[in-house]
Amino acid sequence: MKIPAAVQHWIVPIVVVAAWEGFGRAGLMPRYLPAPTLIVSSLFELAADGELGRAVATSLYRVAVGFVLGTGAGTLVGLGAGTVPGIRHFFDPLVAFLYAVPKIAFLPVFLLLFGLGHESKIALIAFSCFFPVFIASRHAVLAVDKHLIWTAHNMGAARATTFFRVMVPAAAPQLFAGARIGLAHAFILLFAAELMGARGGIGPLISEGEDAGRFDLMFAGIVTFAVLGLLGDRILMAVRGLVLRGQTIGTLEQAVR
Amino acid sequence: MGGLLRQVGRHIERWYSIPLLLLIWQAAVSSGLVESRLLPGLGRVAAALIRDTGNGVLPYHTAVTLTRAALGFALAALAGVPFAAAMARSALIRNLFEPIFFFGYPVPKIALFPVFTYVFGIGSPSKIAFAFLECLYPIVVTAYLGFRAIPVRLVWSAENMGAPHRIIIGRVIVPAAMPGIFSGLRIALPIAIIVIVLTEMIGDSRGLGYYIAISGTRFEFANVYAAILVIGACGFVLDRGLLRLRRAVLHWEHDTEGAR
Repeated sequence: MKIPAAVQHWIVPIVVVAAWEGFGRAGLMPRYLPAPTLIVSSLFELAADGELGRAVATSLYRVAVGFVLGTGAGTLVGLGAGTVPGIRHFFDPLVAFLYAVPKIAFLPVFLLLFGLGHESKIALIAFSCFFPVFIASRHAVLAVDKHLIWTAHNMGAARATTFFRVMVPAAAPQLFAGARIGLAHAFILLFAAELMGARGGIGPLISEGEDAGRFDLMFAGIVTFAVLGLLGDRILMAVRGLVLRGQTIGTLEQAVR
Repeated sequence: MGGLLRQVGRHIERWYSIPLLLLIWQAAVSSGLVESRLLPGLGRVAAALIRDTGNGVLPYHTAVTLTRAALGFALAALAGVPFAAAMARSALIRNLFEPIFFFGYPVPKIALFPVFTYVFGIGSPSKIAFAFLECLYPIVVTAYLGFRAIPVRLVWSAENMGAPHRIIIGRVIVPAAMPGIFSGLRIALPIAIIVIVLTEMIGDSRGLGYYIAISGTRFEFANVYAAILVIGACGFVLDRGLLRLRRAVLHWEHDTEGAR
């Protein structure tokens, strides 16, 4: 008997959750791993008294503004670096050096600079998004098929026209790949910054649950955070699908979605 | 002589921005444009770097951080690459695990770190296990795509020429998948360092993350910058090392954009 692939996809997750639930009910799981049904019920509890909504709104605001600022700046500077050697030579060594530094290391500095409110988190998230997005955009422009550019030049296209109508569209898939990595960085930074010193947001929700020994609340926060990250990625991929209509057909990238 | 000058010129052109920025930094501090408590002068950062390197504090924390990052990274590479190969070869394994890796890839796994501290304790094991998890995803996904992207023609040709199965794996499939494997490793290496420092900042009494956190709360920003410099240098050196290894292993792949 052959099980269809679509069913096989679900086997591992369902078995894990079912086993977790079963062992949890039987009292065989440690206290810090409450059963999935308990987590779901405390999610509803949090949602009912509005605490979840406020936390999600706060976190979303921080991550969205930070991501847009950082990705915007990274894309612009990256496109510039790919086109103009001078810009490239200025930013390359800086990025090579700072890329592997966890941007959260700048948290003490950013806290002093921007205060304890939203601004320090937003600035840190934007700062951390900038690097992967910059690298992807810079590589994308350099990797554009030279024939396309020569052809455009040959047909008398102005430099600006070549840039906006040939280079940017050709680089677009890579730009989205960079934005996607940037989004992942944004959520990591959001979590770390919120956990280490923030009022409001999902991070404090998780640590409050932990401190109070309410592990169901802690997991409710963790699940919310994971779902937000996943949704953000789905939205970005949907936008990408709209922008790149027809460009990804038949490529391996389709598989990675 | 002219060649040498040109070479020196090219190096200046490629690296000038770091000294330039340091110069602006120093100028901003000396002129009193920025508060020196927030942005200590280069001299004070260098003094902190030298002092804490001399008394062994920075080397100790650096060794702790690098050991943890290396362990998490190495475990993820050792487990992830064979697993990716198994996923590429067996339809059953692929169907069982592909959704977990592709669907779970964008999920911010950092949220699970509190759980890790309960399961593995607060010291090194939870951090290594977490770095393992964070590295595993890019390594498996990229290596898997690398294995799947191998042109079937290559395997057919080898079979046609009578190569036994073992030779096909060792001499055709693994080398052809190497670029994908190395891309995954290169994505995972900075992630390992980032994750370890991050989790050390959240809670530990050792490692560079702890050093940064404790210096930050004491307003010793010269030490924060000194640690940032150390991490940057480590990441840079390790990345260059990985590139060298890639060039040595993939000696047939010259000067392509992807190799840089």
